[in-house]
Amino acid sequence: MTLYPSSASDRPTDSPFVPQRIFVPTELSLPRRWISFMRTNPLFTVGLFLLSAFVGLAAIGPFFVGDPLRTNITEMFSPPSADHLFGTDEYGRDVFARAVHAARLDLTIGLIIAVVAMTIGSTVGVIAGYFGGRVDEIIMRLTDVLLAFPGFVLALIIVAALDESLLNVVIAVAAAYVPYFIRLTRAQALVEREQEYADAAQLAGNTPIRIAFRHVMPNSLRPALVSATLVTGWAVLTVAGLAFLSVGIQPPQAEWGVMVGEGASDIITGEWWTSLFPGGMIVLAVMAFHFIGDDLTETRA
Amino acid sequence: MRKYLLKRVATSLLTILGIVVVVFFIVRVLPGDAAAVRAGPYANQELIDRIADKYGLNDPLHIQFVDYVGGVAQGDLGISIRTNQNVTTELLDRLPASLELALYSVILATAVGVSLGVLSAHWQNTWIDRLLRIFAVIGSAMALFWLGLLLTFFFAFKWGWFPGPVDRLAVGSEYPRTVTGFYTIDGILTGKPSITVEAFRYLALPVMALAFVLAAPILKMVRSAMIEALESDFVRTAKAVGVPQTRILFVDGFRNALIPITTTIGIVFGFMLGGNILVEFLFSWPGIGRYAFDAITTRDLEALQGFVVLVGVMYVFLNMVIDITYAIIDPRIRLGSGLTK
Amino acid sequence: MSLLGVTGLNVALTGSPYPILRDVDFSVEPGEILALVGESGSGKTMAALAVMGLLPLGIEMTAGEVHLDGNNLARSDGTVDRDASQISMIFQQPVGALNPTMRVGHQVARAIQINQQLDRNSALQAAINTIGHVGIPGPERVARNFPHQLSGGMCQRIMIAMAISCRPRLLIADEPTTALDVTVQAQIFELIKALVEEIGCGVVFITHDLGAVVEMADRVSVMYGGQVMEELPVSELLNQPLHPYTRYLLESVVQEVDHRVEDVGVDFALTGCRFGHRCLLAHEPCNEFPQLREISPGHRLSCIEKMTQTP
Repeated sequence: MTLYPSSASDRPTDSPFVPQRIFVPTELSLPRRWISFMRTNPLFTVGLFLLSAFVGLAAIGPFFVGDPLRTNITEMFSPPSADHLFGTDEYGRDVFARAVHAARLDLTIGLIIAVVAMTIGSTVGVIAGYFGGRVDEIIMRLTDVLLAFPGFVLALIIVAALDESLLNVVIAVAAAYVPYFIRLTRAQALVEREQEYADAAQLAGNTPIRIAFRHVMPNSLRPALVSATLVTGWAVLTVAGLAFLSVGIQPPQAEWGVMVGEGASDIITGEWWTSLFPGGMIVLAVMAFHFIGDDLTETRA
Repeated sequence: MRKYLLKRVATSLLTILGIVVVVFFIVRVLPGDAAAVRAGPYANQELIDRIADKYGLNDPLHIQFVDYVGGVAQGDLGISIRTNQNVTTELLDRLPASLELALYSVILATAVGVSLGVLSAHWQNTWIDRLLRIFAVIGSAMALFWLGLLLTFFFAFKWGWFPGPVDRLAVGSEYPRTVTGFYTIDGILTGKPSITVEAFRYLALPVMALAFVLAAPILKMVRSAMIEALESDFVRTAKAVGVPQTRILFVDGFRNALIPITTTIGIVFGFMLGGNILVEFLFSWPGIGRYAFDAITTRDLEALQGFVVLVGVMYVFLNMVIDITYAIIDPRIRLGSGLTK
Repeated sequence: MSLLGVTGLNVALTGSPYPILRDVDFSVEPGEILALVGESGSGKTMAALAVMGLLPLGIEMTAGEVHLDGNNLARSDGTVDRDASQISMIFQQPVGALNPTMRVGHQVARAIQINQQLDRNSALQAAINTIGHVGIPGPERVARNFPHQLSGGMCQRIMIAMAISCRPRLLIADEPTTALDVTVQAQIFELIKALVEEIGCGVVFITHDLGAVVEMADRVSVMYGGQVMEELPVSELLNQPLHPYTRYLLESVVQEVDHRVEDVGVDFALTGCRFGHRCLLAHEPCNEFPQLREISPGHRLSCIEKMTQTP
């Protein structure tokens, strides 16, 4: 059980505000320890379960549900039932099947975007933080400019300029999050380069580039990795938002945002299930990422 | 202090220049064939050539760049491909609508976020706190467009409390004489309060949707800033001296938490400039976001780049204002480190 | 009768069986300076916060009595009913301990207002007087400043001003000079001693610096791992400390012997002597908690070994 936000971790140990970790006594059996962990970190546990459920759904779901693109006009707009868990849309497509396929698409894309953004952003961030000086200044100026655009808008205009393809969506949204990782890693690199091991590496005769990437970088990645879950959540939201506007990913592709977009007009005539379910899944998935990510950032010890 | 102000303005101008460069790069350099993209998927070669001519897309890049920057410096953001009108004029026409929406959303979000955040910090780790934090997570995870849909469905269609997403006022309503462009204010200023009421009714749903999503990060930040302030050494000193708990909460805690809170409000405003598009689309709001959406669907890159530049500039300006506010609030920046004479 | 008498103080993390402070006892006479000495993590600050009723969230006093002039301030729920005119405290890191957004004069005035029923203007004037009294020249001018504009030494004087403005019976000083220069250190010590003379309050002086102890204190209480190891007059500290831990401390400082004693390797029960795992004299009976016992007038010891070895 952790008691205090980790910002207090650099105070002298005599101070009463040092975060105290209570480890569950090792005499307890393994399942008991899990239960104890779940009790003391309830939100994280919920997030983990939710996320696992989604990952499971995305991984094996598509094999069990019907074809997301199959239309059947005779069944259009049927409300949720045993046959169609989430009902059908205006083309008679099974909403549940589409939602499950969309899970696979959205989660995969979100993850890829986060990884790409983190890779590029961290590399640039470490370079800026470690080498400092002119290089740092230029990189920071560029980052500031990129951060002057709301992420969604930046992604929007990049996709608009390029072709409508999945790859371009990844590029565009990743580009929106790269500056965030640059800032994060740079801050950590600034701290790391003052550490003893960096001096030691230098004395041992390593070239600056080697020190930067082999020694400083792995240690600078910690805050970035911790944020990775949160960024995945944001990426999913952004992609869905773009898709809602039919930007990037378009109908009839099965994607949560697309589904909400298609179902938006159905609400007026009372067919709420075409947009409610996919939208709800977006919220649940992103919430799962948040529960996990928030917990990680708070107990960074 | 003065030096700081000057420096801040200079940085902002530099950033704006950067914005213009980046947008130019994205809109003119990135697309494979700039003219073809603008002409759309159904264009023939003749149309493409005409567009290339009209917008100077065949000129060498550096000339295009100079033209572009020169134009922007004078406030000219180009001509829309779709409407053939001056982009700047079109944007400025629609700006008040977006600003009105933005203003009320931020006000509501701040009011809710700050009060709940303070509450959450004060009752840290109790069920109140847990509940509020879950609320904050839901807000962060909420897909704005989905929330807007939900609100419309329940409040407009099912229960009829608020009007459906049509415009800023009912179809056929009288529009107020333009003073500020804000219907809520103009209604009162021109002596027609009924317009103000109606404007608020149409604002209600989109503002609620935006405010819900915006309140979440504000709540989180207020909570964490307050907690950090409340756990700080100087609060301990205040307690040692006997300052009552409520005084500590508001005076010592809040005053010091104001600084990170102000930053968050800036970030939130920035997010909202992007969320604009979604909400304005959903609620048929005639603002710059809607304009951007129309530009997207018609591949009107000229209009789109004008929108992005405008948004970028507004954001930079906003950040500058916030930084300067900081400098005024925080005596550490305002007074420097020497003794006051 | 003692001014301050702390008996059986036990502090632990809420809901945890592992104590932070174990059966801590100490007392202070009026006009006396008691030094609370120990390494980082020995619990000396925690003991002070417990007495003040300022334990942070998640830590609570599970047992103990805090007697001031004979009255027990500790309540049964673990809170302490104390106000600033009874016990006052000054802290380490003086600049950080003051509110950065409030002028220092106002901060002192606020303390005075709360404890002395004065109106704003009189309180401000009294504050300025006190600030001058603690040795700051030009108090009206200084009072208008914010903490970050003042030096560490000046901030510490301001804190002292805040603390004594309430005319406390007891002052607790938690490592007041650790963050300051040596020259300023001497000045602060002088100031505290002068105030003790003038007000007649008692002082609990917390430090890890034995030199400061010798200079400032009349009596010393040595702590380690949340347990009071030994309590004795300062004169006896240099001549004949009896507790193994106290001897280690002295030898490290005085003779500069490196006593970074590693774990002896034997597991001692958490209910036993807290120094057991580093003590060369430790053996089986040390698994039982050694109570603090008087070995000679004014000299108490918590060590099974040494108690059975009375010379």
